[in-house]
Parts: sequence; structure tokens; C-alpha cells
Amino acid sequence: CSEYQKVYKNEEVAPKYALGEKLYNEGDYKRARNLFEQIVPGYAGKPGAEKLMYMYGNTMFLMEDYITSSYQLERFVKKYPRSEKIEEMSFKSAKSYYMLSPRFSLDQEDTNKAILKLQNFMNTYPKSEYFKEASDLALELDDKLQLKAYDIAKGYHHRISSGTQFRDDYYAAIAAFNNFLNDYPGSKYKEKALYYKFDTAYLLAINSTERRKEERLKDAIKYYNKWKQSAAESEFTEEAEKHIAEVNQELEKFNNQ
Amino acid sequence: QEGNYTPGSKYIIEDITVSGNASFNKQTIVTYSGLRKGLSLVVPGEKTSNAIKKLWSSNLFSNVNIYVTKVDGNAIYLDIEVTELPTLNEVKITGIKKGKHDDIIKENNLKKGTRVTENLLTTTKNYLENKYAKEGYLKSKVYLNPVTTKDSTGKELVNLVVNIDRGDKVKIKNINFSGNESFASSKLKGAMKNTKQRNPIRIFKRSKFIEKDYQEDLKKIEAKYKESGFRDIKVTSSDPTYNEDETISLNIDIKEGKKYYIGDINFTGNTVYPDKFLRQKLGLYKGDIYNGVLLEKQIADASDPDADDLTNLYQNNGYLFSNIVPVEVGVRNDTIDFEIRISEGKLTHFKNISVVGNDKTNDHVIYRELRTKPGQVYSKQKIVRSLRELGQLGFFDAEQLSPNIKNPNPNEGTVDVEYSVVEKGSSQVELQGGFGGGGFIGTLGLSFNNFSIRNIFNKEAYKPLPMGDGQRLSLRAQASRFFQTYSFSFSEPWLGGRRPQQFSVSLSQTSQFRFDPVARDVDRDQRFLITGVTVGLARRLQVPDDYFTLSTAVSFQHYNLKNYQTGIFQNISNGFSNNLAFTVGLSRNSLSINPIFPTAGSKFGVTGKFSIPYSLFNGVDYADLERQREIAVEDNNRNALARIDQEKYKWLEFYKIKFDGDWYNTLYKKLVLRSNMQFGFLGAYNNDRGIIPFERFFVGGDGLGAFSLDGREAVGLRGYPNQSLSSTDGGTIFNKFSLELRHPITMNPSASIFALAFMEGGNSYNTFSDYNPFDIYRSAGAGIRIFMPAFGLLGIDFGYGFDTLPGQPKRNGWETHFILGQQF
Repeated sequence: CSEYQKVYKNEEVAPKYALGEKLYNEGDYKRARNLFEQIVPGYAGKPGAEKLMYMYGNTMFLMEDYITSSYQLERFVKKYPRSEKIEEMSFKSAKSYYMLSPRFSLDQEDTNKAILKLQNFMNTYPKSEYFKEASDLALELDDKLQLKAYDIAKGYHHRISSGTQFRDDYYAAIAAFNNFLNDYPGSKYKEKALYYKFDTAYLLAINSTERRKEERLKDAIKYYNKWKQSAAESEFTEEAEKHIAEVNQELEKFNNQ
Repeated sequence: QEGNYTPGSKYIIEDITVSGNASFNKQTIVTYSGLRKGLSLVVPGEKTSNAIKKLWSSNLFSNVNIYVTKVDGNAIYLDIEVTELPTLNEVKITGIKKGKHDDIIKENNLKKGTRVTENLLTTTKNYLENKYAKEGYLKSKVYLNPVTTKDSTGKELVNLVVNIDRGDKVKIKNINFSGNESFASSKLKGAMKNTKQRNPIRIFKRSKFIEKDYQEDLKKIEAKYKESGFRDIKVTSSDPTYNEDETISLNIDIKEGKKYYIGDINFTGNTVYPDKFLRQKLGLYKGDIYNGVLLEKQIADASDPDADDLTNLYQNNGYLFSNIVPVEVGVRNDTIDFEIRISEGKLTHFKNISVVGNDKTNDHVIYRELRTKPGQVYSKQKIVRSLRELGQLGFFDAEQLSPNIKNPNPNEGTVDVEYSVVEKGSSQVELQGGFGGGGFIGTLGLSFNNFSIRNIFNKEAYKPLPMGDGQRLSLRAQASRFFQTYSFSFSEPWLGGRRPQQFSVSLSQTSQFRFDPVARDVDRDQRFLITGVTVGLARRLQVPDDYFTLSTAVSFQHYNLKNYQTGIFQNISNGFSNNLAFTVGLSRNSLSINPIFPTAGSKFGVTGKFSIPYSLFNGVDYADLERQREIAVEDNNRNALARIDQEKYKWLEFYKIKFDGDWYNTLYKKLVLRSNMQFGFLGAYNNDRGIIPFERFFVGGDGLGAFSLDGREAVGLRGYPNQSLSSTDGGTIFNKFSLELRHPITMNPSASIFALAFMEGGNSYNTFSDYNPFDIYRSAGAGIRIFMPAFGLLGIDFGYGFDTLPGQPKRNGWETHFILGQQF
């Protein structure tokens, strides 16, 4: 029967604390956690509780159990606002949410939480040693949200059908790109969004009924110019120039009438 | 705060003591107070009063004081004196049944160890008195008697005696009306739904007096008058009077006022719909009795958000910010003129469409199903349709799907919709082992309904499986010493992601071996192999409407026999047969919302399965072949028979037409009627060649897939044994009608349960000349279904067959059917 087993099964609190701390320092987080788990509920308000909660929260974080660590670290931050470890713990709490953030095509509730936490952290501790990392993580998450919004808008463009919903689909794609461009004006996907918006307008105009064709061709030119402004060098240049030439040619017909 | 200190000067806490504490640790109290050793503070000051406030707010003490015990230079010694509130020890309840004691303790939180405050006692008393008054015990009295004792450690404890005297239920002896001229008192009593006077004949409704119900019933009387034009009706009631026999009398006074009629109705502000249309929709005309209740209902029915009223006419068709108010513009004698003022507001468009809660399913799988798109005109119908589509996916808990209308902006005329989804398990595992057919049979079946095939080699995606692209993948293997079946199928609902066209492919391989009775072992030299491939494409259509799907499939089966005699091949024991067929189906599915328990909509489809008409061009004279066969039968020439049958079944030639229709109607609240009709016909292009012994219909029993080597179709008909309503070779034509009443028991996503009662009838026929749709076997019965995401659908039905099966002496009677697998 190892020392750990003896202490684990014993009722006494003090040895659990001592051994837990020792295991924690040695890097045996799993067993340290098991011991801490037993004594954490009864320790509230007692001296040493802060240290215990610090180690406990850290154990979860180091064991990559981010669901628990996000909660435990947040609790620490609320409970011990004057702790000297507060900066480290706020950062790790935020980073736990960062780790929970799923791939862009799923619900981004944890991403939004993480961004908020990281932002709060950066506002509170602008001189922190973790500032750079926090800022990098926040940017990465923000990029994920942008990608998500862009991908959703691009989905409408992708699914334009030729059936009875023809016009609806074009307008939906244009509206979706507009929403994206409004919500993320400085996004790195801006140029792509502008191009596909033009592409949608181009397809709508070319396939339009005669009655509305002129107006739609002019819209396409408008969107082309918007894209052109933001695209110095673009993978779409060749395609875009081909389309706009076609649009101009079509518009010519109306001017000649 | 006392002591030898100078008010207003700064001190540093040297030590804190605590007195009066019995159950709390000293350190805990100090920590909780926020004071600590070494803290500098002004006495008296904010920090001490905050400490007192904090301790007070804990609701654990009846008294908190802080004293200065000693001052030494600028060092100060403090003492926190607390008086702990006594805790509850034992609760004794008298006056009501023992079974209810626990509920009372729970509802009032009278647990052992709860701190006894004055507040706790008062709220408990009030709660209980109210509770019994609501049940009709108007004269209930509750007495609380707390007795304080001390335990061995000196802690104060309270034993609480709760004495409940409910008294008798107060019954209503009479209800008296005064002032009613237009309606008889009995009519008015009838309008009161939950307040009834005592009547020995009426046994279902109580005659208890319940204040809340009574007030509602008074409103009902008012409504009754208002419906008949009495706009100014006043219904008042004095307090109930007690009679000598502990009953009460209710006195209701009515001031009827005048009876009014409708005068002119004018609409203002309407640009979208013309007056005439709106007037028709309103359904009230000049000269009608003024029915205030109906008028309100026709404009905006508060009791039904989906009502067919004017407000919804506007709101569901894009005018989300519209507002309709009826205004009385003039009263001429007993006639009232109206103006219906309509403010249409801006035509509303959807702005952002978003989805939350999808923690497994990828965005594109969800967004592509949504009928609401950015920039579209707002339509409630489209939101409802979107919910249906999401429910039908089967990835989300259909009962928890909800649309949240967000950020309505009347100035821009935009609104956002956020669909909130909750993922549910959508993979199923089947693992079976058992003895049967002379040996061990093992089955392993896996079916993943929300698979992601592109991530199949991506290690990261295995959490625990690559999920979220809405694809379906299933694998099944069944093996024993005598047979093995392997099957694989995959389907992608949106091939290419651009439009809803489902691509599916399935492969299967079956091998069967004979048992050698001499060696008592399997004889692998006598074998029967079947290999099958099916590739299908199904497209959702736009016309006639977008509930339609057109599906096409090509299927191929190869049968191979070696030293193996089986009934369907008649005389071939060494040979083969091929079944290549094209299937075309047109179906329409508008079931909503929950695929497990649809409450509305219908699902029907016609499918045709056709082989190539080989006999048109292969130059074989099948009439001659049939003659040769007759001769061979007469001569009992087995070799010739085998050769002829091999020629006959080399490529199977047939066509098969099927119809299957399901209709669901909600009859009352959650009671749903399912009506089903099925029909099938198997025919031959060439009568000389005859109808093939494959692909036949077997009617009767639970309708589960059986062991289908020969493309047979099992059609369920409860109340009769499996496949008992067809000849041994199977029918070539069948029909079936069924009515089923269903009621949900629980729609919990972890286990949905519903009960059903059914009536059905059907039969199969060997040839078209035998066919008689009214010559059917009838049955009725009841059953239950349980759907658990991990296991699929399970169920049991008890059916009674009313008709006599051929060869039976009497009607078939009761049968029990176990249902396994998804059947919806």
C-alpha cells in the first residue's frame, strides 16, 4: 500500500493537502487532483484555501481538462481578486475558453466567451508577460469568427440554384455578403467577399429578364468597382476582367438602343 | 464599538477574536467579515460597518457586534460578537395525511439544519394557508409552534410543530344572480365553467369554492354578454356569504346596459390589401349584433398566436411591424361606427440568419436546409418550414427546435432569425450474438447518421468519430458457420453541396452453405452466393412543389449456385441468375416536425422498378421453351429442366409498381391519426416467360425485412403470423389499408415513447384475376413504440386477426409482434 493510497483513503485533511502539494510540484497532476478533489469543498474560508484553489485550478489546466479549468480558474479570479497569482489565473481562465473553441463551422459560444475574456485580460493587465500571447490568441479567434461568417455567406453563393428560387438565391447571396462586409469591415476575407458579391451580381445580370437587365448590369459594374478598389493583386483578376468585359458588352446594347 | 480609542484615527488590527460562535469556526467568521490581521482602518469606519453588514447578510446570525477590546498605540484588538440563529432540528406535522408531510417539508425548505428566522416561519404559515385555500379549504388555519432546546454542545435547536387545521371544504350552495334580464340565471350558471353550485346529479365537476376560478368565471359571464352586444356589461360580486351548514352562497349582480349593433366599418391606412378584402376577412357587417369578443378575435386573437386574424394576415406576409387598432368613432343610439386603423409599417426583410447550438453538425449542413435567407421578405411560413426541415434531418431534438426573432428594426424594416438547435445522438450500434440454425450467429451493425466522409483519414476528427457533414454510413456484418452477410451503404444528401440531390451507394455480399448431416459440419462445396450493388440519385424538385423528390436507382444482383437446391430456382442447382433493374420513384414528403412522431403532413410515393425487356430482342422463343419444359416435366428429365430453367432465369425480366401513402392528422391536442395505404403489383413483359419467382410480396406479421435472398418484400399486417397472407411463392399483387391512432407518452430526446391503437386490413393475390381489393384480412389492436437514439425504434404490438386463415378452423385471434429498427 503506497503512501498515496494510505492518504487517499484516510479521512484526515492535512496529509492530503501536504501530499497533494508535493505531487503537484513533482508534476503528478492526476493523483494531485484526486487528493485536491476530496478536500476542496471543505476548505472554503480556511487559511491555505487560496493556495489550494490555485493548485487545483492549475492541475485541471495542465491536464487539459479545459471544461473544468475554465470554470475553476474563473472562480479563483472572482474569489481572490487580491491574490498575487491573479494575473496568471485570469490568463489561464481565458486560455481555457480558447482551448474549448470548436472548429469554425460549429456554434461559437465558447469562442465569443474566450475573446471577451482575453479582451478583459488585456485591458486589465496591459503590461503582463502574457499580453502578447493573449493578443495572438484573440486575433486567431477573431479570424475564426470572420471565416465562419464568410463561409456562411459564401454558402449562399455556392447554392444558387436555377429553379424557381432563382432570384431569391441571388439576392440572398448578395445580402449575405453585405451582412458580412458590414459586420467585419477590415476582414482579410473582404476582397474575396467583394469579388463573390460581384460574381453574384454578374450572374444575376447575365441571366436576367430583359426588363431588369440594364439595372442589374449597372449594379454589377458598381460591385466590380468596389472589388477593384480593395484588390491590388488578386487570384480573381483574370476571371473578373472577363466578366466585366461581358457586362460592358451587354450594357452597350442598351446604350445603342 | 467600545474601548479606549480615538474616533476617527487610523489603527492597525493586531488581533481579532470571535465570541458567541458555536457551530462556526472562528477563522471562517473572520475571513467572511473581510477584516484581517494587519489591516489598517479607521474606527469606527466603513470597514467595520461593512464587516457587520457582510456577516448580517449571511442570514446565519441573529445579532452581530464588533467591539474594541484593547488599544495599544496604533495597534487595535477587535472582538466580533455573534449570536447564531438556532437551526431546525425536527419538524412535526399534524392535521394532514402522512404521505403529504415530505412534500410540505420540501416545498417550504424545512430541512434539518436550516436557520430558523422569523421570515421562515411567516412564509411557511402563509404558504400553507394559501395552498389549502386554493384547494377549496377556505377556512384553513395553520399554527406554528417552535420549541427551542439545546443539544449536548450547547447549540440552540428548534423543534417545530406545524399544526394544520384545514377545516371542511367549503361548498357552494347557491349562486344567485340579480339584474339579469336577457339571460336566464341557469344560462349564466352554465357559462361558469369551474364554479358550480352543489348538485347531487353532477359528479364530475366539483362545487368547491376557489377564488381564482371564480374570478375567471365572472369574466366568462361578461364575455357571454359582450358576445351578444352588451358592450357596457358590468358584473360584480359581493363577498360570499356563509350559510349555517358551512356552505356559502354567491351573489352576483349584473348591470346589463344597452344592446348594441355594428354601424359603419371603415379601414384606414391600408395600402397592401383593399377594403373589400379586409372586410371579408373581418367577417363583421353593418347591422350585426355588436360582438366585442369576436371583433377582438378577428383583429388579434390573444388566445391563439396562429389564428387566422387580421394581425397575422399582415404579420405573416412581411409586415412584421404592422399594428391594427379598432376605434369606435361614433355611437348613434344603439349603433356603433368603427374605424379599423391600420399602420402597416415597413415591409420587413430578413437580415441575419444564424444558427446556434450546433456542436457537432457543420454550418453548411444546416444552412442549406433553411428556407429563410438574408434579404428575403419576412415570412412566418418560411420559418415554420425551416423548422420542419431541421427536424426532418434527424440530427437535432425536434422538440427543442426554436426560432428566435431578434433585433427587429422598424426603421430599416429588418429582422434577424436565430435558430436554436440541440444536437442529439444519431449513431446506432447493433451487436448481437446467439445460437440459431445449428451454430453461433454474430451480428455487428454500425450506422452513423451524421458522418463526415472527407474526414475519414483525419486523425483530429475522431472525437470519437468524424461527424457533422450529414452523410449516412452504415456497415453490417452477420456471420455464422453456415452463412455470412456483409453490407455497406453510404449516402450523401447534397451531392456537390449545391443542390439537394442525394447520392447513395450500397454493396452487399451473402454466402450460404449447406449443412452436411453425415459429417455434422458445414459443407462449403454446396453454396449459394449473392452479390449486390445499388447506386441511386434522388433530386428534390421545385415543381409541382418543393416537397417532391424524384429518385432513380440502378441495382444489380448476381446469384450463383453450386450444388445448391433452393425453391426459387426450381430445378437449377448449378447455375446463376442476374437481376439488373432500374428504379424510378416520385415521392412527396411533408411530414412535420418530428420524424419519429409526425403530427401533420403526408408522405406518399410511387415507385416503378423495371428490368430490361430482354425477350424483345434476345431471340429466345419463350413459348417454345415453356412447351419443352412441360415435356421435360412429363419425362422427369432433370437435366433438361435445369437447362431450361437456367435459360429462363439467366436475366430476370419483370416490372414492379408500388404505391405507399401515409397521412398524419392531429385530431385533438396530441392525438394523431395515421392513415396508410399500400399497393404493389409485379408483372411480366412477356406472358410466355411468366412472372418471376423473385421480388414478390409477402404480407402478414410485423413486416420486418426477413432474410431476403430473393428480393422479396415483407409487408406488415398485424394480427396474423409473418407472411401468412401470401402463398409460399409470394403474391404478385397486394394491397393494404391501415388506420392508426397515436398518442405520445413522452417526447424526451433520450427516449421517445408513444402508444398506438390500430385497425388494418390487407391481402395478397397470386394473379391479377384473383385480385379483389375488398377480399381482405382484417385486424385491430394496440401497441407501444420506444425510440432511443442509440438503438433506433423498438416496439411491441398486440393484434387481433378477425378473419380465418386458409386451413384454420376459426378466426386467427391474438398475435404479438415485436418491432425492431426504424419504421417511419
